[in-house]
Amino acid sequence: MKNLIENTIGKIKQQQLKPAPKWKYLARKYGSWSVFGLIVVLGSLSLSAGYFIIANLDWDLYRFMHQSMLGYSLSIFPYFWAILIAIFLAAAFFDIRKTETGYRFSWLKISLITLGSIILLGLIMSLFGIGGRFNSMMTKGVPYYGKHMMVTRESQWMQPEKGFLAGTINSVSDNEIVISDLNRRNWNVQFSEKTLIRPSVDIKQGGMIKIIGKKLGENKFEASEIRPWIGRGMMDGQQRRFMINGSGMMRNN
Amino acid sequence: MHEEAVQSDVDLIELSKQNPESFGLLMTRYQGPLFHYIRRMTQLPHDDIQDLLQEVFIKIYQKLNEYDEELKFSSWAYRIAHNHVIDYFRKVGARVQINSLEDYEWEKIISASVQIEKAIVDKDCVEKIKICMQELPMKYREVMILRFVEEKEYEEIMDILKKPKGSVATLIARGKEILNKKIKEQNINCF
Repeated sequence: MKNLIENTIGKIKQQQLKPAPKWKYLARKYGSWSVFGLIVVLGSLSLSAGYFIIANLDWDLYRFMHQSMLGYSLSIFPYFWAILIAIFLAAAFFDIRKTETGYRFSWLKISLITLGSIILLGLIMSLFGIGGRFNSMMTKGVPYYGKHMMVTRESQWMQPEKGFLAGTINSVSDNEIVISDLNRRNWNVQFSEKTLIRPSVDIKQGGMIKIIGKKLGENKFEASEIRPWIGRGMMDGQQRRFMINGSGMMRNN
Repeated sequence: MHEEAVQSDVDLIELSKQNPESFGLLMTRYQGPLFHYIRRMTQLPHDDIQDLLQEVFIKIYQKLNEYDEELKFSSWAYRIAHNHVIDYFRKVGARVQINSLEDYEWEKIISASVQIEKAIVDKDCVEKIKICMQELPMKYREVMILRFVEEKEYEEIMDILKKPKGSVATLIARGKEILNKKIKEQNINCF
């Protein structure tokens, strides 16, 4: 055995072997943790984008669609972002497990730490409006995202056949509003005394509105309810009926 | 000798980085345990085990800067030896064998894994159990050697195999279970 030691040291000297530089090891070590950090950031971004979508949908529409709350929730759930978050969780798990001491953490611990970090950072991002901005970037930059991959406020309100329409007001008369929808197509929207106009709706040229009603013809729509583009238009939780005069001003009925 | 006794593994690692001669002291400390570990893992002749051990020590030397003081040096060295042996068998395309255990080592595994009613296990019985043990998948055999022959703690086995504690405990329990099942299937009833 003594020969083994002498031979090994002799070989080390003869071949001029040296311990591998520490920076290589540190680069690998911190590289893995940086990848973990990146995964958490991407997961948080996904969470804030998903949250933005959910928060901006009208959650009471299931009543107009003759659906159950559960069925409606399942139909509008942002699966794309949820699947991405699940992928990031799995990636974080394998990344941590590949670190020098990662095997010491159980899958539950790794998942909870990763999910906790994603939720915390995701909430902070949402507070700063990053989720909304990221979502807009995705809608503009990624084909199919806004139309097929996600139920967004836009896609939710651009279903005239199902009775949902949204757009910008072009003109207002006594019983008709002309709007240009989100695809820039013009619609004549009829309303009457029975039409529920939410309190915070500002019906004037250039205002953006959402309409619940019935499609009457190619470019004709009958409104049963009008809401502002953002939110449900409730004020103090009360719903009041409004009439619109010819100049587009509103008065309490 | 005095210097070797007082210096910790970490001190010797630092010295070895400057001077390969100091690495000899670390080798003196671990050549015995690592030699026997490789012998238990393989079925190779003495000289081949020495060759493997030399390669393991050279690998340890080249990786000295990677040593993390959170681990025991012995666990880290065993990990390198374990991986080297696995790589070796992969390279030569052979299956890792554990026939080379000494009788007393077999008895350690058997008494820890199989419910023995008699105080003394007869030789014929041990031979039959060896065959059952040989049929165990590698992942169970290696963990049983570390636990019952090397007498390593769970934490050390974790560090050597890079597996979570729960997985180590499961592998040991499952290994024992499979072994007992095989013994029953083979009608080995000599206890």
